[in-house]
Amino acid sequence: TIPASSGNKAGSVTLEEEQRVRSELRERFLRTLLAMTSKPVHFSLYEKVQVQAKFGASDIDILNFQVSDLQTPLGVQKEALLRCQDMISFSFQL
Amino acid sequence: MGDWCRVMPQDWNKYVNHEVRVSAQDKQQYEGWVFTVDPVSASVVLVAFQESGGASVRVVLGHAVREVQVLREADGDTEKKLRSLLTPAGCQVFSD
Repeated sequence: TIPASSGNKAGSVTLEEEQRVRSELRERFLRTLLAMTSKPVHFSLYEKVQVQAKFGASDIDILNFQVSDLQTPLGVQKEALLRCQDMISFSFQL
Repeated sequence: MGDWCRVMPQDWNKYVNHEVRVSAQDKQQYEGWVFTVDPVSASVVLVAFQESGGASVRVVLGHAVREVQVLREADGDTEKKLRSLLTPAGCQVFSD
């Protein structure tokens, strides 16, 4: 997790501006996750592993994703948690 | 660019609505319009519009981002398209 601003050396106006930008960017990201709910998502993991699953939810720090019907080379896992540290990217269609 | 996670939110904001190429850790490159950069995980959300009218969304996790290169500047039309794609209809903007 990336820490919030380390201080307001440059004054409260700058800090306020930083907070405003931060909240705008975050809102857009949360809307992305919301749009992804219940959709099939394709995950690219390290070592060229590709898996697909239905996205359920994420924790606030984007550390874990809860997914359903995870399709792995060893079969389908009904429910699973994916560690975001293991992912390089993921994609879905709108 | 191992420092991608440590830049200020204002610096991430400069990429929003621009078309970029993201180089990831696995030497993969992803192109698309930046919808946002999550200030918590530094993950980049890229949108690629399809001719069929749909869109494909790709999120590159912040820890895997090596380099972000701007290909094309933002334009009004794309900005609007991006906003309407993931923001629910009837959502009001209360401040600029």
